[in-house]
Amino acid sequence: MTSGLLVATTVLGLAASVVGAIAPEKTRTPLSSWLTIVACGFGFVVAVMVLKSGHVAVVHTDQLLPLSGFSLTLDRFGALFMAISAAIGACAMVFRLGYDGHGLSSRTASSVLPLFVITLLLVPAASSVTTFLFLWELMAITSLLLVLVDQRHRPEVAEAGQWYAVMTQFGAAALLVGLVLLATHSGSQSFSAIAAESAHLPAWVRSSAFVLVLVGFGSKAGMVPLHVWLPRAHPEAPGPVSALMSAAMVNLGVYGIVRVGDGLLGGGPAWWWLLVMVLGALSALFGSLHSATSTDLKRLLAYSTTDNVGLMLLGVGASGLFASTGHAALALVALVAALLHVVFHAVFKGSLFLTASSLQQATGTRDLDQLGGLLRRMPVTGSLLLVGGMALAALPPLCGFVSEWLLLQAMLHGLPSSNPSLAIAMPVGVGVLALTGGLAALTFVKAAGIGLLGQPRTEPAARASEVPRSMWLGSGILATLCLLFGVAPFLVIPAVVDAARNITGSRSTHPLTGGWQIGLSGMHGMLAPGLLALGLAMAILLVAGARRALQRGAVRRTEAWGSGRELQTARMEYTATAFGEPVTRVFEDVLRPSHDLEVSHFAESRYYVEAATFHTGLDDAFERHGYRPAASGLRWWGTLARRVPNGSVHRYLAFGLVALIVVLVVVG
Amino acid sequence: MSGSPFSSVLTLAVGAVLVCAVTAVWLSSVRSSVRVVAVQGVALGLVALILGVHQRDAGLIATAVVVLLIKGVVMPFLLTRASAGGVLARESRPLVNVPASLVASAVLIVLAFVSARGVAHFVGNTTGALVPVGVATLLIGFFVLVARRRPLSQMVGLLLVDNGIALVAFLCTAGVPFLIELGVSLDILLGVVVLMVLAQRLRIEFGDLDLDELQELHD
Repeated sequence: MTSGLLVATTVLGLAASVVGAIAPEKTRTPLSSWLTIVACGFGFVVAVMVLKSGHVAVVHTDQLLPLSGFSLTLDRFGALFMAISAAIGACAMVFRLGYDGHGLSSRTASSVLPLFVITLLLVPAASSVTTFLFLWELMAITSLLLVLVDQRHRPEVAEAGQWYAVMTQFGAAALLVGLVLLATHSGSQSFSAIAAESAHLPAWVRSSAFVLVLVGFGSKAGMVPLHVWLPRAHPEAPGPVSALMSAAMVNLGVYGIVRVGDGLLGGGPAWWWLLVMVLGALSALFGSLHSATSTDLKRLLAYSTTDNVGLMLLGVGASGLFASTGHAALALVALVAALLHVVFHAVFKGSLFLTASSLQQATGTRDLDQLGGLLRRMPVTGSLLLVGGMALAALPPLCGFVSEWLLLQAMLHGLPSSNPSLAIAMPVGVGVLALTGGLAALTFVKAAGIGLLGQPRTEPAARASEVPRSMWLGSGILATLCLLFGVAPFLVIPAVVDAARNITGSRSTHPLTGGWQIGLSGMHGMLAPGLLALGLAMAILLVAGARRALQRGAVRRTEAWGSGRELQTARMEYTATAFGEPVTRVFEDVLRPSHDLEVSHFAESRYYVEAATFHTGLDDAFERHGYRPAASGLRWWGTLARRVPNGSVHRYLAFGLVALIVVLVVVG
Repeated sequence: MSGSPFSSVLTLAVGAVLVCAVTAVWLSSVRSSVRVVAVQGVALGLVALILGVHQRDAGLIATAVVVLLIKGVVMPFLLTRASAGGVLARESRPLVNVPASLVASAVLIVLAFVSARGVAHFVGNTTGALVPVGVATLLIGFFVLVARRRPLSQMVGLLLVDNGIALVAFLCTAGVPFLIELGVSLDILLGVVVLMVLAQRLRIEFGDLDLDELQELHD
């Protein structure tokens, strides 16, 4: 039954791809989108059935891939990720129905997009090394093509595509080596055989495989320092694609790390997980700093993705560390927190990226400094941005709060530990979580305050009007889920706990208790999101009511030196750059902003300034100090190497002769 | 290896192949080299014929006849016709001069004998002992390809390479199947034709036949 549905999902997705390629222009987008939505629906049903029953869905065929065959096995852990991908995929496709521009309606894009969605669904189900790598690579290539659809009109898209192509291939190479290392040493390439055999492998094989796989999956997840492609490619991709990449594709990086680290290798020494925690903490800090200072709405969201992936990795690392030091129950809680954050992040980041794309379509820009006053002009889209942004800032009663609270609890309970690595790692983790939470709140205030409130700063922003219904519906579904999961997290927690126990094989008792309230069994700490929401709502009503009651008949207060609303223009408003400036100043040593002030004077007198131009830029420190030198080194090596093949036929023939002789000598 | 008449005749024929290869390196007149290659083709055909008669293999004898015809007659004829133009007659300025080429050939022959020991031992008896000659012919042919400038000399080198490969094949496997040998020979024939066309084009474009003029096409 489930296997049949899995096949149906795949076939429908492929059909959508074919329809996208051959249908006439008018019906192309709706037909392929609806088919993909149906495929996602089937995928979601399979995933939920597997999550509920725990019976794995197996599909195996000897065809498709030569020598190895194509095998899918959907267990509970994979099903969790498949369900997320399916939900995001369906919403992105609904959004796409109303989305125009960015070349997404072209024949190529319409046929590649369903394929990308299907690979997102199937990657978590792959159960052999070959199948996994095949689907992984297909996902990378299709997403790259989709990032590039608009490259003819905007040069920055091509640049983003180059970064993405290089980083994804680098990651794929690391992944290939890591997985093949495991497969050769365990004598089989099916995941179940590797898992059964891995405990007997030599330590260096296990460790080098884990590190390689961490690099490979980390580059896809946007983990620092392999994140540089993400803030370029995610913003430049067309709206639905950027949502899919940021909300579904990065998850698969986390999926891979857990699948290999906990599933195939069955956990490992403490230093693996400390490494994961350190990289996660770095990602969280770096991502949140950049998202707090960025003025490009989608770039800000992309950096926030790096931030949230960092938090997930923090949870995964903490879980592994707990497991390796013998705290089974805490390990499970930390992993559940990380996976819960995967789910919730997908929901709110999907919604936010779709909303941001709506704003971009309505105003023609993503630059916050050119927006403003949009809440009044686009009430639905604006409210959606508020909801998603509050989830991003981890404010109750939205979903981001629940997962971050749980993560905090897990790490706090690791504090009274005699183990030195725990005693050092956990407080640092708590600190990182607190700092990123604060910066995320700042980010949200900036995005909402500058973009939605105040007066429009430019003409296009002033003329903006609400987007088509299907667009706000697509992000609206996800925003509703944000609210729903925030108030009633018990809707997803059992599934997440099952998935976590499935991958770790943990026999530990159910770590979380209660329905409307979440408690950690056997530990202190309790949260009732529903009550919290109710309390908040009542408090807000109370305050508003009290204000109204107090102000009745009182003098209306207004700005002291505002000189009346009418005179205030958009140029007097706070800008996003200005809002982020204090953060930039405080973290100057990390962010290293570049300032460039040019003052030209009148020829007659140096005391009078004719013009002054000021540029401030904030580029990625890793990019400037790591990637650019590496790239120029490679370019130098490339120009050097190009002198060797100089076009002489004889030289090329001599290469052949020398190679032949070397082979003869070596073999003979 | 001198025991039976079979092995003496075979050794003689194989020796002729190697002598032809070295002679082709020694001669600077392209037309003479072509003639030497023709002789080598005949010797190669004879090797196949001797093996075929010895093993009473009709297919191998047929192959031998085809090799004789293509390598001994057709290709030399085509090359001679191409060299009738006159400008092609001499290898005026080879990249490596003749004495140095001969020394290099000697080194290559030693190398072939050293490196092909394993194969020789694997095949065993008389035929096995002769396998290194095929490898040596191949290497010398490759060397001619690298060291000579004229397209016709290059064709000579290509033919030497092919003859070396064919010789190894005959000696190791007691003859490749007829069909494959036919295919390979036709391939080489095609290669010769293409090279001749290339030579024509070179002469039209650059007024000269130096392959290194092609370097101008490098970006």
